[in-house]
Amino acid sequence: MLTGLAVIGVARFLQQRQDYENATSRSYQQEIDARSRLAAGQKPAAARATIVAQQQRRQTLRDDIANETRDTALLVGAGLIAGLTGAALLFTGLIASMRRPLEDLVDASGQLAGGDLDARVKVGGLSETATLGTAFNEMADELQRRAGERDQLDRMKDEFVLTASHELRSPLTSVQGFAELLLLERERLTPKQAETVEVILDNTRHLVRLLNDLLDLARSDAGRLTIRPEPTDAASLIEDAVRTMGAQLDGRRQELSQEIGADLPQVEADRDRIRQVLVNLLTNANEYCPEGAGIEVKARRAGAEVEIDVIDNGPGIPPEQLDHIFERFTRGDAGETQRVGGTGLGLAISKSLIELHGGTIAASSTAGKGSIFRVRLPAIGVSNVSEAERSGAEA
Amino acid sequence: MAKILVADDSETILLLVQTRLKMEGHEVETAADGQEVIDTVLRAADNPHDIFLLDAMMPRKSGIDALRELRAMGVETPVLIVSAHTDGGDGNGDRADLEIDGYVNKPIDFDRLFAKITELTER
Repeated sequence: MLTGLAVIGVARFLQQRQDYENATSRSYQQEIDARSRLAAGQKPAAARATIVAQQQRRQTLRDDIANETRDTALLVGAGLIAGLTGAALLFTGLIASMRRPLEDLVDASGQLAGGDLDARVKVGGLSETATLGTAFNEMADELQRRAGERDQLDRMKDEFVLTASHELRSPLTSVQGFAELLLLERERLTPKQAETVEVILDNTRHLVRLLNDLLDLARSDAGRLTIRPEPTDAASLIEDAVRTMGAQLDGRRQELSQEIGADLPQVEADRDRIRQVLVNLLTNANEYCPEGAGIEVKARRAGAEVEIDVIDNGPGIPPEQLDHIFERFTRGDAGETQRVGGTGLGLAISKSLIELHGGTIAASSTAGKGSIFRVRLPAIGVSNVSEAERSGAEA
Repeated sequence: MAKILVADDSETILLLVQTRLKMEGHEVETAADGQEVIDTVLRAADNPHDIFLLDAMMPRKSGIDALRELRAMGVETPVLIVSAHTDGGDGNGDRADLEIDGYVNKPIDFDRLFAKITELTER
């Protein structure tokens, strides 16, 4: 109602504004004419009177239009407020009827995002919210269908990897086994033959490593990578790994030393798996460092944890690679990988294994100076308090 | 030296394992599946085996199924399960009741296998 008045008011005002401008313009014209007559000396008194009269007239016109402007502004303001109030009232009603379904949608979206693919909304209310609800439910159906397909594909992939790994293992067992058998009678082989058999063995072992890595990775993806932890002497774990590596390192004339703290506590560990991790770290150090490099294994108690460092003085790892080093298929730069025989999976698997033990693994490196890989495993029967006290004392 | 029953569905692997065990001085009998394992064990009742070395997965009857039947018959011979999977898990179900004395992964690390056999025969 008031809004309508405001519209009419504005239209009237625009007309008045036009009239004002026309009148002002005419008044100026008359004043200019009078000034011309005055300059020409024709009836100077009358001309002066006209000039004054026209100036006064324009003042009156200005006052009038100012009043009109104020009134119209007031009217428009009132109209706007009335309009907004009306709209607000209308909206409040609308919102009230949409609120419930929208809240349901928000809740269901949250559930869906949180992984509950069964989340659906009750369709109802205004036709718009009903449409929205139906669309949401259809989307959720589709999501659920696709998730189902993906799960099935994942299962098929896992199944395939397990089966392939099993099927490949039997022939590999034979190849490796018979090559080893041949080497047992090395004295009856010519040096050339013995060397050939060793090449076969090396490559078979590499294949086995690749197969094990792929299998571990598939298990890790499927959440089925498991460990069998038992109380284990940390020092013997490390000595075990260093011994396993010993022969390999000799081949490249690298120095391998170990420094094991005297009071190393026990850790809850799957012996084979931790050895796998340490051997992986040592193998990396061995393969990425030049001949004559030094590799060091240091172990110490650090509060409630056992800290094992594998340190090398090789070329180091560039920062941009260091950030991704525990991601699968990440390997040293291409020039190196030609020579290095890894799979790019070792560190990704090591990380999964250490995390399964409740531990952490981290890498740091300085270009040209070498790298440090640090494994931390929770110790048995050592309370956290001692660490808090220690760091407190250090601070 | 021990009398060992080795079961695997691959003839090549049987030949390999048999050769290595014989080189160590053991007496070896072989079986190609779970049923042959049971038959061989029953035949050898007078001169029983000291150790079974059974492949977990074999066609027709698996090593695990054969072992389950043997244990049910009261056969208490120590057993090593040869498995293609590094954790011995290959979908053969719960085996907590089967008194398995150890797992051997493929490819077989013979030094470890010999050490386990020594450990089992000496106890």
